[in-house]
Amino acid sequence: MGLKDIVKKAAFVDILRGMSVTGTYFVVDKVTVEYPKEKLQAYPRFRGIHALLTDPDTGDAKCVACMLCPTICPSQCIHVEGEETPDGRSHAKSFDLDLARCIFCGLCEEVCPVAAIVMTSFYEGSTYDKRDFLLDKEALMANQKYAHKEVFVRLAGTRPQAPPVTAEPFKGLSASKPAAMAAEPGRAAAAATSAAADEAPAGAPAAQAPAATPEGEGR
Amino acid sequence: MNDAIAQLIFLFIKAILMSVLVVTMVAFIIFYERKFAGFFQGRVGPTYLGPSGAFQSFGDIFKLLSKEDLIPARSDKMVFKLAPYIIFVPAFLIMAVLPFGPVGGSPNLFGYRFDYVIANFDSALVLFLAMGGIAVYGVVLAGWSSNNNFSLLGGLRAGAQMISYELAMGFSVVGVILMAGSMSLVTIVDKQSGNFWDWFWAPQLVGGIIFFISTLAELNRTPFDLAEAEQELVAGYLTEYSGMRWGLFMFAEYVNLVVISAIVATLYFGGWHAPFTVLDFIPGPIWLFLKIAVMVFIYMWVRWTIFRYRYNQLMSMGWKVLLPLSILNLAITAIVIVIVG
Repeated sequence: MGLKDIVKKAAFVDILRGMSVTGTYFVVDKVTVEYPKEKLQAYPRFRGIHALLTDPDTGDAKCVACMLCPTICPSQCIHVEGEETPDGRSHAKSFDLDLARCIFCGLCEEVCPVAAIVMTSFYEGSTYDKRDFLLDKEALMANQKYAHKEVFVRLAGTRPQAPPVTAEPFKGLSASKPAAMAAEPGRAAAAATSAAADEAPAGAPAAQAPAATPEGEGR
Repeated sequence: MNDAIAQLIFLFIKAILMSVLVVTMVAFIIFYERKFAGFFQGRVGPTYLGPSGAFQSFGDIFKLLSKEDLIPARSDKMVFKLAPYIIFVPAFLIMAVLPFGPVGGSPNLFGYRFDYVIANFDSALVLFLAMGGIAVYGVVLAGWSSNNNFSLLGGLRAGAQMISYELAMGFSVVGVILMAGSMSLVTIVDKQSGNFWDWFWAPQLVGGIIFFISTLAELNRTPFDLAEAEQELVAGYLTEYSGMRWGLFMFAEYVNLVVISAIVATLYFGGWHAPFTVLDFIPGPIWLFLKIAVMVFIYMWVRWTIFRYRYNQLMSMGWKVLLPLSILNLAITAIVIVIVG
């Protein structure tokens, strides 16, 4: 041990340097996200729980029962039954999705020719009852309020029935602690009330969903 | 009512008030330890119970009280139950000699003299060192009585470590004793009256640093927490303890933290004196409290920054560096005092 080392140790150089590091962390912003109170904003391509988008013209799901998603699904969790409507459209009579089997690969969204099934930003699917994992058509259509706003941007212009949406650009996770996210109501409560709370463009499809579903189920 | 009875009443008031205050402080210091542990690591610490988590300690106490009192079947049951108190009681006894305000002089309260110290006697520092020595028994006996290899190893380590560092601590304190000419904490504080450059930290800088490092070892805190090194010894001497018995150890550790912070403040940072004489209108207990708070913060800062020393590093530092330095410090202090007069 040379003289330099002795001086260094006597002056606690390394220890003081370490303490300056922890002292810096003491005052800087904390990285903790206090989860139930504040939530991270999901990335635009985040694959959360699915949704079926509504066609504003008919009020029904956009699904045409082409059977591509049950076919490509690696875990075979989608079951679709198709039928013809009185006005001659092909639509899904029932659309069942088993979240307990789903691996959230997103292939159903990629393969869908009419952009009916999409993956949303919703990831809080915990439940005490495993029957809640079985989503029927109604539940999937109610989920579209969680759909990424970028989905509507992607659809705008390509199909006339897509709602004209200008989504907020994704700001990244650092800007992800706004009160708006934290204030988003729970899933059950949101089904009834969130249409009004959403922004106007995104709210357009969601607002029609409750009105549309009894009609679709009635047949 | 004669003066003796008044002093007796004052004594009870002081003893009860001091204990209650320190226990309250400890509850919040445990909370702040956890909060600051988070802050030093970029986290937020406890946030749920009370305003920003301030009542976390009370939640912990209720949780610990509600747990089963588990005593290992093959342990030495009497010693196992006794060990927490051997650590707990000495921590409180040191408070008796801590001056937290002016002592002596003219009557200042209802025509009687109120001394801001519970027991003013000449060998207060010896009591402090002796109580530190007794606390070692608690750790060693806890490790021994648990009948567990990890506990025993932890206890042995604690014993060796505390004895090694108590030597350096004792020698570094002697420097202060020489400068004050007394072992009474009251006299030591009185000798430091004046501004902050009149305190003993400046002439006793080396001794103060040695004392601080030794108290880290005495408190069993990182970087000297070999006695409860989680990665090697599960929890060391605490392994078999659970519930409120474990809580007593934890509690005693933090009472010790407060008391030793107060001792450091008293010996080297002027005790209850204000840093500037113009600030003397603020009462002494407040200054002592502030100094304790700053010292506790520094202890926490060190704890959450520095890693644990290896056993041989601990021993070589204690015996080869701190002990010779403290003796050298003592010799130089003595020579300077003789020359200067």
